Amino acid sequence: MDIVPQLIVNSIIAGAIYTMVALGFNLIYGTAKFFDLGYGALAAVGGYAVFYFYKTLGLSLWIAIPLGMVIAGLIGFFIYRSIYAPLRERKSSSMVLLVAALGAFTALQSVLAILFTSQFQTLSRSAGDERVFEIAGGVITQVQLIILITGLVLMFAMALTLKYTMFGKAVKAVGDDEEVSKIVGINTRSIIGKVFFIGSAIAGLAGILVGFDTGIEPTMGLSLLLKGVIASIIGGIGNIYGGVLGAFLLGFVENFGIWKISGEWKDAIAFGVLIIFLLVRPQGILKK
Amino acid sequence: MEYLIHIAILICIYGILGLSLNLIVGVTGLLSVTQAAFYGMGAYATAILLTTTGMNFFVSVILGMIISGVVSLLIGFVLSKFKDDYYALGSFGFNIIVYSIFLNWQSLTRGPLGIPGIPRPSLFGFTFSENIWFLLLSALALLLVYGVSQYIVKSSFGRVLKAIREDEDAIRVFGYNTLFYKLAIFVIGAMLASIAGSLFASYITFIDPSTFTLNESIFLLAIIIMGGLANNKGAVLGAVILILLPEILRFVGFPSDIAAQMRQVSYGVILILLMLYRPQGLVGEYKL
Repeated sequence: MDIVPQLIVNSIIAGAIYTMVALGFNLIYGTAKFFDLGYGALAAVGGYAVFYFYKTLGLSLWIAIPLGMVIAGLIGFFIYRSIYAPLRERKSSSMVLLVAALGAFTALQSVLAILFTSQFQTLSRSAGDERVFEIAGGVITQVQLIILITGLVLMFAMALTLKYTMFGKAVKAVGDDEEVSKIVGINTRSIIGKVFFIGSAIAGLAGILVGFDTGIEPTMGLSLLLKGVIASIIGGIGNIYGGVLGAFLLGFVENFGIWKISGEWKDAIAFGVLIIFLLVRPQGILKK
Repeated sequence: MEYLIHIAILICIYGILGLSLNLIVGVTGLLSVTQAAFYGMGAYATAILLTTTGMNFFVSVILGMIISGVVSLLIGFVLSKFKDDYYALGSFGFNIIVYSIFLNWQSLTRGPLGIPGIPRPSLFGFTFSENIWFLLLSALALLLVYGVSQYIVKSSFGRVLKAIREDEDAIRVFGYNTLFYKLAIFVIGAMLASIAGSLFASYITFIDPSTFTLNESIFLLAIIIMGGLANNKGAVLGAVILILLPEILRFVGFPSDIAAQMRQVSYGVILILLMLYRPQGLVGEYKL
């Protein structure tokens, strides 16, 4: 059997997942200007919230998924208000924020492990009898198709929101120059808070979808986050389309990279790509 | 008593790691989160050399230091191109790449199975098989590393490092080749961490890749930030506190699985609180 079509399909699905993570991350980085690592744990929070509502309480998916996103969003917002906002107000260096974010990430991830054990769990109730589609020799499951569509819809929704709404314009203004935005009367604190809510909810959604595709575990966030960061950087940080481009590029490189070698190398390949990009083209493919 | 000796040995090993990382992060201001990689290289060097060739432990320590030194020279050279956030992110990458190598180079490291049956050190026919003797050896190593660190910090070389941390451009104007200094301290730090790795491998007599993950590097960062950056006493103090803390949690009576997670939660919360209220740590001389 020829493996190439399946590799292409896998690359596209990986790309779509990374797109979502990169979109949320880019939004936060573009406005608040620091690497929010706590963001990774929020993907896991989303996944586990749905696990609780959907599998343990037995609620319908249409309630469980939005609830999961809102919970991830609220926790992200709360972390911002209680940790990042005070630090930013006293003009702490980005290193301090990074270390604080590492702390938030570690703590959150372990709280999940305490609440739900650190075992690997799946979200779907009926594992195994999913609908499967075949495209040009590659197999794609229904969940994966939903992931792909969600990723693309999210990209356009975000691009349009940023371009045409007042909120989007304010977000861009804060990203360009926070001080000046404050002077012209933008409530930067509230804008950044909303950005954290939205970005975190997107992370939650990514975690939920990954949970339906493969499964969830408390440590899933780190790898997702790092992939999103790598995608954003190689695509051009702060640029929506760049992040998406980077996400798909990363998906392809990773999946074709392990064509001949073991799948365990994926993370190493991703970081290899990142380091090459940082050395050769630190501004990414598309500049902001 | 055995238990206390065990804790003391761990404190010695983590004290060495804290001191080695403090030279890089605290004294020179390079936020490196890849120290566990060099720790692992020392451990694997000792484990492989002792189990396959029956080499003397002390020779393997030297060889491990040489290997870490050479690899860290390469990594440090790449990292020296980055600044701040990107430096940290790049160092994440190297930790993950080195971890992948431990995990996947199965013919050398036996991958996830790990390497069992590593013998205790022996010198002139005397074997450090009793823990109390091993503690003596570790304490000597800690003292040695402390002396080296203290010598570096007090020397003119150390003053240049601190100047790089405060203002790299300014010290460059004075004609110092900052790249050389940054590489030198990165390599020294890596070689010292490798000693701790050799001790660890020989003490536990079994190693596998899971000890040398990114989380371990974050833990080491927590140690030096807790104790206080740029202060050698602080690095050891941080190790004492963060090794004792989970033991206290254990006595409170949590089951061991939850205790392990509680330990992570407490590191995370400590990092956040320190960043919010005391960014210089307990006895630190430098704020991030």
